[in-house]
Amino acid sequence: MHAVPRPVEMRMLLPLVVLVPLGFAVTHIAQSGALDPGPLGLAIAYVGLMLGAHLALRLTGQRGDQLLLPAVATIGGVGMVMLNRLPQGGLGIDLPGVHLGMATTQLLWFAIGVSAMVAVAVGFRDDGFLRHYKYTWALAGALLLVLTFLFGREVNGARLWLYLGPIGFQPGEAIKLVLVIFIAGYLAEKRSLLAGASARLGPLRLPPLPYLLPMLAIFVIVMLIVVISRDLGTALLFLGIFLTMLFIATGRRSYVLIGLLLFVAGSFVAYQLYEHVRVRVDNWIDPFADPSGTGYQTVQALYAFGRGGIFGEGLGQGLPTISGHLPIPALPTDFIFAAVAEELGLIGALALLALVLVVVFRGLRTAMLARDDFSAMLAVGLTISLGLQTLIIAAGNVKVIPLTWITFPFVSYGGSSLLTSFVVIGLLLAISHRSALDSEAREQGS
Amino acid sequence: MIAVNIRRLAFYLVLSFAVVAGGLSWWQVVDAQRLATRQDNPQVIAARRSAPRGAIFDARGQLLASSVVVEGTSRRTYLDPAFAQVIGYASLRYGTTGVERAWDDLLTGRADPNPLRELVDQVLARKPESKDLTLTIDKRLQDFAAAKLGKNQGAVVAIDPATGAVLAMVSSPSFNATGFSGDPEAAQAAWDAVAGDPHNPFVDRVRQGHYTPGSIMKVLTTAAALDSGAITPQTTFADQPRQETEGFLVDGFTVHEHGLGRIKPALWNLSPALQVSSNIFFAHVGLEVGADRYLDYARRFGFCSSIRLGTGTRYLTVDPSYVSAPADGDCAAFADRVELANAAYGQAQVDVTPLQMALVAATIANGGVVPQPYVVRDLRAHAASPADGPSPTILESYAGGGGHRAISSGAAAEVRSAMIDAVQGPIGKLYAGAGAVTLYGISGVSTAGKTGTAERSGGLSPHSWFIGFAPAQAGATPSIAIAVIIEGSGDGNVRAAPIGGAVMAEWLKLLAGG
Repeated sequence: MHAVPRPVEMRMLLPLVVLVPLGFAVTHIAQSGALDPGPLGLAIAYVGLMLGAHLALRLTGQRGDQLLLPAVATIGGVGMVMLNRLPQGGLGIDLPGVHLGMATTQLLWFAIGVSAMVAVAVGFRDDGFLRHYKYTWALAGALLLVLTFLFGREVNGARLWLYLGPIGFQPGEAIKLVLVIFIAGYLAEKRSLLAGASARLGPLRLPPLPYLLPMLAIFVIVMLIVVISRDLGTALLFLGIFLTMLFIATGRRSYVLIGLLLFVAGSFVAYQLYEHVRVRVDNWIDPFADPSGTGYQTVQALYAFGRGGIFGEGLGQGLPTISGHLPIPALPTDFIFAAVAEELGLIGALALLALVLVVVFRGLRTAMLARDDFSAMLAVGLTISLGLQTLIIAAGNVKVIPLTWITFPFVSYGGSSLLTSFVVIGLLLAISHRSALDSEAREQGS
Repeated sequence: MIAVNIRRLAFYLVLSFAVVAGGLSWWQVVDAQRLATRQDNPQVIAARRSAPRGAIFDARGQLLASSVVVEGTSRRTYLDPAFAQVIGYASLRYGTTGVERAWDDLLTGRADPNPLRELVDQVLARKPESKDLTLTIDKRLQDFAAAKLGKNQGAVVAIDPATGAVLAMVSSPSFNATGFSGDPEAAQAAWDAVAGDPHNPFVDRVRQGHYTPGSIMKVLTTAAALDSGAITPQTTFADQPRQETEGFLVDGFTVHEHGLGRIKPALWNLSPALQVSSNIFFAHVGLEVGADRYLDYARRFGFCSSIRLGTGTRYLTVDPSYVSAPADGDCAAFADRVELANAAYGQAQVDVTPLQMALVAATIANGGVVPQPYVVRDLRAHAASPADGPSPTILESYAGGGGHRAISSGAAAEVRSAMIDAVQGPIGKLYAGAGAVTLYGISGVSTAGKTGTAERSGGLSPHSWFIGFAPAQAGATPSIAIAVIIEGSGDGNVRAAPIGGAVMAEWLKLLAGG
């Protein structure tokens, strides 16, 4: 384990040293009207955390992709600035004797997430335990699912939480990771069999049925999540991950199309069965039909986009409160993208999406350079889990699709999401580290 | 193999992000303005609550409405209840109406007529600057008309026929909006008092009043008939004198004449027929015009769809007027000849607003061109001290624009001549009544006009109508066209015509510098 320089990562992280504290100061000045930078402790701690992660990767000889961490740190920096400038009441956690505000809590989760990322990136040297025990992982995921259905608490008619003492956790996030690992393991092994066609169903050419069955099982489980948890956003995300990985393994667009058609059919059933799904879809079609009732948050989010315009209202200048309350109650979690778009404008919102695309492209690059099929499938699955999640929530915010309650990775308030997202980055770093080692070995051998 | 698929995936992902970026651009650029002006936008609410809303002045710079901010809350004062419906109100609690609503984004300063300056303001995040409005209405004429209406329910609307500028528009009963446009906590009692009034003061009768026109409709019928060539001013109907006593049988329905009083039926052409206001003559004329042509001419005068007071994106809306049954924002085809014959003298399904009828009079006065009416003349920088008059800085001027031709100038001149006779001819003078004659006190000035008595079903007392314009003598350019309605007050000659005459005379006096 020799220290290696990570010069690109270092250079790309440096602007944050200025930008994040500046963002905190600007919002403080805009809101208080006083010309002082205000408390910068959280900003400095945040930047220190990211630089610390850089140092840890460097000292442990991590050779993984150098753009992932700076991109993620910048996205997270935007999120921290926004969360710090919002009213802190309401969200946060109550530890014995002390209440941590929203931004402080989020920073705490950042610390945990970044630590987990470094631990995974450095410690994950052998993927055997993932690859060989894929069915065990699948079983663990299924168990978690069952536990959630049995003991979970319901929020917003859909979201399911498991509580350990005062700290809530969304098992969906962990299940997402397990799902990716299992599908990657299974597809890497059976890829050639699935890609070849030997069974026919009408005009469709299908792979041999025994290999198709576990795939169908995954699909059925995803649809069960739709029906039982009534959480369309998570279901769409899981299905999207599954179909994308299937496409990567087989190159068949027809699988994706069939899967999506089945999802639309399933959603239609959910629309018929569940009131809250119906409300969500109706609001999507016309939020102004009931602008002060069920369409309220959607309408308010559209207003936020409209107020932002091209250049934004400026950090700290937007989001008018009505007698001290935010117009959008779920702003820190589900509508954080609307808040960013209001204060930083179209330009800022597009920049944020572009940063996510940077992460996605580095992830896909990692997959293309991966040394074996399993690593490649794993990298694609992890990458797409971040990319699709961003797409689904952003598209829901701008009303391209019905709104679903999932988080904007690295930006939304929420510990489970942050921790999982950082583990994803850690795994990507580990995969690209191993392919970097391989290519070095090849160069030395030649 | 996997690498190829990953490249394809990257393409689809970029495509999906582009779709989201497109959605984002839609709300943030294309649709931003519409979102920004919606009444429940918290930004609008906050701006309205604390912004010093712009002032509103009359055509001569007299202050009509202004706001002051007291303890962070904007309080609006309305100085003249005669303007209550046209200006409307801007209440923190009860919303906005009238000009206050249509020009809300400019009055609160959320918008700027200059897109470049708006962009610069946005980039620099400048605080919105409220702007002031000047109306086309002259407070002196408005107050005069309101005083003439007195406690009657009804409306007066006067238009400059050449420009379309509204000179006065009064709806009675009125109200004072100051009580509920200030402190939201204290607003309810003042609001309840107006909202509970059974005579509906909130309704702007000029734009939203729906009335049967009665005989004033004969002006439109005459215009259509002369322009289409269906009749000439000399045309007579041989059976008409006999039908005056026996009734005119149209497809099984008998059109009866109203009481002619001392007038003996004779073989009338247009002028005497309009003077005595013969229903039977105009039923004949309507049938000569024919259903399709009648509808066509009605539409040319503005019937069958809503009229805008103002052009561009900011205007007051006038409810549509109909000559037949309404059908999806248009006039339905006439059901039969009976309906057409009755519509031609202003009964059957005909349903009009006072503004539409003032526009009919203005069109005849304007040589057959329908002027585009408007009520806000210009937008100005916010006056430092509104009580001392408006700022000299005009940011944007509004005008009615050219209007559009409905009938030829020759036909318009023939209608004008018949309308002069209808109030000044030997018989017309008797019908229009002594009241309208006050106008003729100004030497050398002629008036053109038509009275109306709109029969109402259910034994209700008829509405009294008058439309007209002045000066109407040959060679003169009319400077005012008017419509007056007094609800449920009986014959047109008794109530509406004198008020119409007095308001027109007052305007001519004001123009002469009196």
